[in-house]
This record gives sequence, structure tokens and C-alpha cells, in this order.
Amino acid sequence: MEFSTMMNLLMSGLFFTAQIFFTTLIGALPLGVVVALARMSSCKPLALVTRFYISVMRGTPLMLQLMALMFGPYYLLGLNMGNDWKYIACSVGFILNYAAYFAEIYRSGIQSIPRGQYEAAEVLGYSRGQTFMKIVLPQVVKRILPAMSNEIITLVKDTSLAFVLGIMEMFSQAKALAASQVSMVPYVIAGAIYWVLNLVIEVVLTRIEKRLNYYHD
Amino acid sequence: MTTDNVHEKALVRLDHARKSFGDNEVLKDISLSVHPGEVVAIIGPSGGGKSTLLRCCTLLERLDGGTLAFDDLVVASDEGGRAKYGSASVLKEAKSRFGLVFQNFNLFPHYTVMKNITDAPLHVQKRGKEEVFAEARALLAKMGLEGKEGMVPCELSGGQQQRVAIARALALNPDVLFFDEPTSALDPELTKEVLKVIRELAAERMTMVIVTHEMSFARDVADHIIFMDGGVIVEEGPASEVINHPQHNRTRAFLNNYEN
Repeated sequence: MEFSTMMNLLMSGLFFTAQIFFTTLIGALPLGVVVALARMSSCKPLALVTRFYISVMRGTPLMLQLMALMFGPYYLLGLNMGNDWKYIACSVGFILNYAAYFAEIYRSGIQSIPRGQYEAAEVLGYSRGQTFMKIVLPQVVKRILPAMSNEIITLVKDTSLAFVLGIMEMFSQAKALAASQVSMVPYVIAGAIYWVLNLVIEVVLTRIEKRLNYYHD
Repeated sequence: MTTDNVHEKALVRLDHARKSFGDNEVLKDISLSVHPGEVVAIIGPSGGGKSTLLRCCTLLERLDGGTLAFDDLVVASDEGGRAKYGSASVLKEAKSRFGLVFQNFNLFPHYTVMKNITDAPLHVQKRGKEEVFAEARALLAKMGLEGKEGMVPCELSGGQQQRVAIARALALNPDVLFFDEPTSALDPELTKEVLKVIRELAAERMTMVIVTHEMSFARDVADHIIFMDGGVIVEEGPASEVINHPQHNRTRAFLNNYEN
């Protein structure tokens, strides 16, 4: 097999990898806010249910969660979900799992904002929504960025778990190539690509961190 | 500051205020009224209820009993011995009547000086941009903060930060300004520059209620002094009288801790 053919296959895998990555971020970043707010809610049952959800998401393997979503409809309800279900199961699984992690990071950030900030906003007449969006959230973003970087980098690597659903993302392609070519090279190249992707993410996030360094508190 | 003259216009009127935290009764039947142009200083030992009184007046805490009104706007009325608060719109209206300056400034660290001052007038009061910015610039000049518009709070000294906080409170054009130990987080030199600004406001007949540990400042600036201890007003009266000729032993004992 020619090198370019191998690269083409890996690149087609990279397309799915990127798709999982961005779908997860687009879904889990905002969902995490909702989960964090529910977790901190003064409504006890809601807070408790959310806590349980976070605990399960963080306490069981993502691979197991993906399998449960993939085959649950068939085993539990006898439903045949069709060929494209794996993509939906994959998106839902990743989003639900990462939203739980993001929510806990958001919560730590939100709870680290001093009471005085809320009180100042309240006395100035800001509504609760304004206080959150204008005063709390921007400060939270700065505080949680290092922790978020960690999660986002982990997500790049976790996309390889879609392998168990039969989605031909980059790791699945590399594995198939390695088997058919009896060669380590596909793994080495895939590994290099993951690393470069994360390098780019590191650089971008560090740049954002620097931009937010115009103030400290 | 005359609680007996109920017909006189009062910008702040608190009557028979009670507040407890659990079993701890922090305010026991406190009444006070603040008239236009008046400067009231509240002094007394820590834990005496001064800060709680101020927090109740600024709606950061809710009274258990008693009434609270800003001029003609009744915020809390008495209902069978319990304080009953008005609707959200009443509370919102009340917040436009007063400003509060905190001990720790509580500026928004991610906003520039200018945005700290203009954001609430623009987005809470929804006033016009030009008017708000012109007023903000005038306030900054008055506070001696020209040229600091674009800076963020962490680039300023504590005294400058507190002056920004005063400008931020004034930008909403409140009827009355509350200060919660505005110089307690500052060293003597920075204290001086903040007190100077408050003195200037007093000279302009800005109505103010100031919780403070600066006795000589209280005597010079306040029209009326309230000495609080143990959740009650122990003694009150014209500033020089309370400071120079205290009538109660507790007031005397407290004032002995300070050199005048």
C-alpha cells in the first residue's frame, strides 16, 4: 500500500474524530452550565438528581456508557435503531459524559466568585440574569480555563473510544491499517496527529489565558 | 435626625427594626430616619449590629420585624409584627434610591474603571450613552481619577479603588449613600484621600449614612452620630455632643479606646 493511500484513510478517520470532538464541545459546553446550575439549585430534589447523574457519568467508563446507548434500545425495548444510530449514540454519549465533567468545573468556578461581587451587583440593581452573564460568568471563564484545557485535551484522545461503536474515526482506521499492513507505522502517524492536534489546542488556550490576564483579582 | 418628628420628609425611615440570625438577636427595635442633606455616622464596637443595620437598609438582608421606607416608597411594612416586603418592582425601585460603598470595594475586576461606573446606569437604568459617559467623566474628575478611565481595578491603589466604588454608587444618582466602613481596608494615607472625598460630598449636602471607626472624621463630618452596641442604639445626638460629651458609660468606655 502506498503511503498516500494510508494517509487518505487516516484523514478520512480524522474527519470523524473532528466531528465527534466539535459535536461534543458544542453540546457539552452549554449543557454543562445547565447541569452546574441544577446541581447548585436550591430545589433539593433537582440538585440530588443532578448529583446522581454527575456521579454516574464520572463513575463509570465512557466506553461502557457508549455501549449502553448503542445497544440499550435493542436489548431493553427491542427497537431496531438502524445504521446511523451509532453516530447519534456516540454524540449523545460524549455530550452527556462531558457535560458532567464541565458542570463540576463550572461549579468550582462559580463558587469561587466572592460574595461581594453578587452583593455589589444586587445593590446596583442588576437582575439575576445580568449578574450571572455580565459579572459572574466572565470571571468564571478566566478561573476555569486551565481546568477546561485539561478536559478538552482529554476529549481529543477520548474520541478514539468511538472505535467500540464501529465508527471509523482515526484510531479505528489506524488499527485496521496496522492489521492489514502488519505495521506499526499507522499507529505512529495517528499518534503524531493526535499530539499535533493537542499542541494546537494548547497554544490556542494559552493564548486565550494570556488575553484574559489583563486583570487579576 | 429626629425620630419624633414623623411628618418631616425622610429619605430613609426605619422603624422598630428587628433582625435575628438564629438565636442571635442582632437588631433589637432600631428606629432611625435620615433627612435630606444629613450625614449620619454609626459608630460602636464590632458585633454591635452596625453592619447588619446597614445591610438591612440596603436590602442585602431582610428584617424580621419593623418597617423600612425610602421617602414615599414603602419597602417593608408591618404585618402582625412581621416585616412584609413589597413586590420585586418595589425593591427594584428602592435600589435606585440608594447606593452602597463596601469595605472591600467590590469593584468588578474584569471591567475598566469607566465600565464599572457606567454599566449599571446604561444597563439597569437604561439611560442614554452620552449622558451617562459625560456624568461618569465628571464623577471621575471629582474623585481625582482623571486618566484612569481605561485602567482595571487591580492597577489602582486601594484608595483609588474605593474612590471608583464611590463614583460607581453615585453614577446611579441615588438619594442617599450608605458606607460600610469605607476605610477599614486602607492604610492611613489612603484613608485620608477617601475621607477627603466623603468630606467633599458632605459639603455638597449629599445625604449619607456612614458606618465608621474614624472617630475624628465622624465628629467633623457627621451631623448626627448613633452609637450602637448589643443590637440597640445606646446613644445618639449631634456629632460633637456624642463624641465630646457622651452620656452613657458604654459610649464613654468605647470612645476611650480612641484618641481624639
